[in-house]
Amino acid sequence: MLGRPGQDAVITVDDVFKAYGDVKAVDGVSFQVSKGEIFGLLGPNGAGKTTTMEMIEGLHAPDSGAIHVLGMDVRHAATAIKNRVGVQLQTAALYPQLTVTELLSLFGTFYARHQPVERLLEDLELGEKRNAQTKNLSGGQRQRLSVALALVNDPEVVFLDEPTTGLDPAARQGLWTVVRRLKGEGRTILMTTHYMEEAEALCDRLAIMDHGRILDSGTAEELIGRRFRERGVHFRRAGAPDQEKLQALPAVSRVVYEEDEVVLFTSDVPATIAALLELTSRAGTEPADLMIRRASLEDVFLELTGRALRD
Amino acid sequence: MRALRALSLANLKSFVRDRAALFWTLAFPIVFVILFGTIFAGGGAQYQLAWVDQDGSATAAALRAAFEANAPVELKDGTFEESKSRMLRGDVDGILVIPKGLSAVIDAAHAGQHPDPIEVTVVTDPSRSNTSLAIQQIATGLVMAANLQLSGASPLLTVRPDALQTQQLNGVSFFVPSILAMALMQLGVFASIPLVQQREKLILKRLNATPLPRWALVGSNVAVRLVIAAVQTALILGIGIALLGVKVVGDPLPIAGFVILGALTFTSIGYVIASFARTEEAANGITSVVQFPLMFLSGIFFPLEVLPDWLRSVATLMPLTYLGDALRQTMVGGAPFMPLPVDAAVLGGWLVVTLGISARFFRWQ
Repeated sequence: MLGRPGQDAVITVDDVFKAYGDVKAVDGVSFQVSKGEIFGLLGPNGAGKTTTMEMIEGLHAPDSGAIHVLGMDVRHAATAIKNRVGVQLQTAALYPQLTVTELLSLFGTFYARHQPVERLLEDLELGEKRNAQTKNLSGGQRQRLSVALALVNDPEVVFLDEPTTGLDPAARQGLWTVVRRLKGEGRTILMTTHYMEEAEALCDRLAIMDHGRILDSGTAEELIGRRFRERGVHFRRAGAPDQEKLQALPAVSRVVYEEDEVVLFTSDVPATIAALLELTSRAGTEPADLMIRRASLEDVFLELTGRALRD
Repeated sequence: MRALRALSLANLKSFVRDRAALFWTLAFPIVFVILFGTIFAGGGAQYQLAWVDQDGSATAAALRAAFEANAPVELKDGTFEESKSRMLRGDVDGILVIPKGLSAVIDAAHAGQHPDPIEVTVVTDPSRSNTSLAIQQIATGLVMAANLQLSGASPLLTVRPDALQTQQLNGVSFFVPSILAMALMQLGVFASIPLVQQREKLILKRLNATPLPRWALVGSNVAVRLVIAAVQTALILGIGIALLGVKVVGDPLPIAGFVILGALTFTSIGYVIASFARTEEAANGITSVVQFPLMFLSGIFFPLEVLPDWLRSVATLMPLTYLGDALRQTMVGGAPFMPLPVDAAVLGGWLVVTLGISARFFRWQ
């Protein structure tokens, strides 16, 4: 499923195990992340995403297996690696009585090189809150500060653990913009999430995790395409042609009636649509609210685990 | 080094902005000093005596005035029966009885006769041996001075009071170093609370994800404790000297040395607590449980001699006993329980052992 470490692999995880007592938190995980990509670990809570990520960050030692970051072994070069990566932990861990500016300056002193505080404030839109103590920040502001802290050292690799959990949709969109900009700046990003849309919107490649294992990985396109070759052609049910005529259209495997929609599952979208339009124009109408949908990562997860992925 | 300084400053800011922590570490010991100071300032130098004048003459009144003016006493008039019940209640420390016939004897002496001496009775409580002795000495001094003056002879020998303090420090001088020792102990063991808080809030974990070396993290916590210890010492000593008349007789250097050694040792004990406490509540509980025996089973509030044997052997194990002893010796010239090098060695031993335990069991996340 995964190739050998490539020339441009920034993170290489090779057959890593980690158990806490009897619980196998990470049960033989391997993957690699290439330079400049956003790689997502997708899975429900307790799937082992965070443990995997924190082993890569050097916060836990794996029971077995090897992890390399920027070509260095995390067991032997933890400090050198920590200088070049940025970490955002799932729970924002901040000194409650320090102000935003104080905290950013403080973290700057930990690194060999660091970005100007002003730039971080501007990039993460924290300028207005610069003198606020961190205990007085809103959830979205805390999360942005937490990401800002991960960027203090102008890192080559950024780890984001559930960066938008608990945020409202506007704040979530704001963070997505930040993550895309980080990618635009040439940084490599490893993130975890249990949000489908987030994984589809942001990640170049994904690994789907459950019970400490990677079930499948690839681009969202690949993950879906491997299982769901068909797509759904949706249009409004009112005024639609008869079921037999629809069933007879080229490449259509089945016709499903939903509440006020008809869905044609097809292995050849252009052929089906062309025939559908011809059929309706003969009747002097056209299909209303025509839409083409592919299967989602949600469907992939359901297919892989037999369970829905919900938070 | 830059990180160490910045992190120390950050911890100090956090401490100062946390009003509750600030109060307990700074205001509490001060309140303690003032409280103990007022209690012992009254009892240390001044004695309450009942004055039973059975003579009722002008001579007796003159004697009373002279006595009150020259001796560290406060007199309360009353009959012998009244005075006895006052003493039993603890309102007075002793009773002086001026017998009937005093003026007659003195008048006779002035007239050149040689009357039989008359007895001034001093009632004291032998179970309070120090007080008892002091009052007897004061009364004897009074009577001798009166004898001299009445016989018209000029004194040939006088006594110049000078101090070589041994056991009998006045109360405040004994307590100020004790309170300082106690404050340093609390400062140290309470170091466990912010540590456990920072671990629970994953601040330690977050710091662990940076290249910040662990020695810098530990160093900054210790540095902050030392700064606070210095402020506490200055406040407690300042109040002791300015308001309570404590005289610091020792060199500043050994005093500073023991303040630092004490703060380090007890901070290290705080790290041991933080090694075993998983939650802030647990840390609070363990800290209370640890600090009370440390405080009351050590010789800081009672001289070790007054403790029963078994308690004394417990106290000789307690680090606070040695810090209190060392601070008393170096600050106010208190009588040694142990020589200073032994105090230093015991505190150092505790420091090394507790450091070892913390290094083995402390968890960052």
